[in-house]
Amino acid sequence: MARIVHNYPVAPGCYRMGLSPGVDRVEPGQFVMIRIPGGLDPLLRRPFSVYNVLRGRGGGIEIVYKVVGRGTGMMASLGVGDEVDVLGPLGRGFPMPGKKERVVMVAGGVGVASLHLLAKRIGYGTLLFGGRNRRDARLAGDFRDLMEVKIVTEDGSMGRKGFVTEFVEEEIGEEGTVVYACGPSAMLEKVSCIAMDRGVRCYVSLEGMMACGMGVCLGCAVKADGAYRMVCSDGPVFRCDEIDWQGMDG
Amino acid sequence: MASKKRDGMRGAVDLSVDIGGMRLKNPVMTASGTFGYGIEFADYMDLKGLGAVVVKGLSLKPRAGNPPPRIVETPCGMLNSIGLQNIGVEAFVRDKLPLLRGLRVSVIANIFGEDVDEYSEVARILDGVRGISGVEINISCPNVKKGGIAFGTDPSEARRVVSAVRKATTLPIITKLSPNVGDIGTMVRAVEDGGTDAISLINTITAMAIDIERKTSKLSQPTGGLSGPAIKPIAVRMVWEAYRTARVPVIGIGGIMTADDAIEFMIAGAAAIQVGTANFVNPRTAMDVVEGIERYMKRHGIRKVGELTGSLKV
Repeated sequence: MARIVHNYPVAPGCYRMGLSPGVDRVEPGQFVMIRIPGGLDPLLRRPFSVYNVLRGRGGGIEIVYKVVGRGTGMMASLGVGDEVDVLGPLGRGFPMPGKKERVVMVAGGVGVASLHLLAKRIGYGTLLFGGRNRRDARLAGDFRDLMEVKIVTEDGSMGRKGFVTEFVEEEIGEEGTVVYACGPSAMLEKVSCIAMDRGVRCYVSLEGMMACGMGVCLGCAVKADGAYRMVCSDGPVFRCDEIDWQGMDG
Repeated sequence: MASKKRDGMRGAVDLSVDIGGMRLKNPVMTASGTFGYGIEFADYMDLKGLGAVVVKGLSLKPRAGNPPPRIVETPCGMLNSIGLQNIGVEAFVRDKLPLLRGLRVSVIANIFGEDVDEYSEVARILDGVRGISGVEINISCPNVKKGGIAFGTDPSEARRVVSAVRKATTLPIITKLSPNVGDIGTMVRAVEDGGTDAISLINTITAMAIDIERKTSKLSQPTGGLSGPAIKPIAVRMVWEAYRTARVPVIGIGGIMTADDAIEFMIAGAAAIQVGTANFVNPRTAMDVVEGIERYMKRHGIRKVGELTGSLKV
């Protein structure tokens, strides 16, 4: 059990939750499975990328999550001192860039949460963040101390107007760049296509409906290299050219 | 009287059970498809504390399984349509079983096939393999077109599969029954006639969940199998019905989350139980159930766990 040390809104529908104690040896891109104890509905844990590792007394982790259903809705209503059940860290995270590689991160909405620990570890590069409006862009706030941040909003209320994928091409530039991306799967598919065209290394963090998070329920299958692989245990980070994007669900 | 019993019994209670010739150290197993090949859980518990591990269903050749989405959560449960993805019996024996042997837990191999010959071929390959305590015949998976439930809903087909496996192996046989039948008693008698040594039930209940915006199934297939606490009362009832008919031991499955749930199944007639979906929620559940049954026995002055089986007062 972990105790909630904070849980507050950071952007429309999005919350930042701190939990203590933390979990051991988190790699950037790994996730935890969280469940509110006590009831049978919702039954299953929910996966969340580890957003941050907290130092100090007992240590801790932070997640940034969006309310999308009953489980996350209940999480948003929890307060400081409440307890949740945390399993993890789970999955395989992002590989680090090569010594001379340029780093470009591409994030859609709350997908940015899975890139934050990586950004802290790397400490340079460019983040291209896409959101609906300027309030969504608050999700990228923490990255400003770590790297160059470029905002794209659908309504043009901040940064450039449009979809983040329209600006990926100019950002990637040439060889010698490594791309890390997380967001909706349609966005990831486009980013992957651009990266593959340019012959640039690109890693994507995927989501999937999963029950266990440890590779046994076989729920979160994704077609990769012609076979089904599991988002939770083979990923959630995959090299973009491994994924069979045609076989992806919406 | 209750307060006297709370202080419980001194000394050890006997949790061991005999299931169709398999001597297990306790009645708690893990249900096929919810515990991988067992090894995945070794970080979370000492597997040799379990009665047995029932591994993911094995077919003759590897199977890719169904496209995603494969699972969806429903109130107090989940639907799955995995489609029996597995590495195949030979890869299991070669790559997974040696690791399991090292963990010193009884291993039951769940097997299935698209036809009777495949069932018996898989059973034959496992016969005499060191580290396998028994086979569980899956005639009840709702998520594959051939095999699976086709054998699980027709008594004469079920008998045919079981007797073919009986001829192919000297290992104890458990037959896993489907709840998607009118009269479970008929199925019990059929698989007993085929030569099964025990029965386990229930497998998942065929069910549906629909995305009303897209007007499509929430799974890649129209239907899936419902599991979890939502199905427990149905499972308890069917175990009770099966127990009244069966000559062989009954293994209870269906939504067990706690020791209390497991004990309920045993009172209804189960000689042993399997923990399924709960393994996803908390990987330590099966071990917690073992410990909880032991505490209950001490509290109630029960010396042998078998005394619980079928102890329902009517």
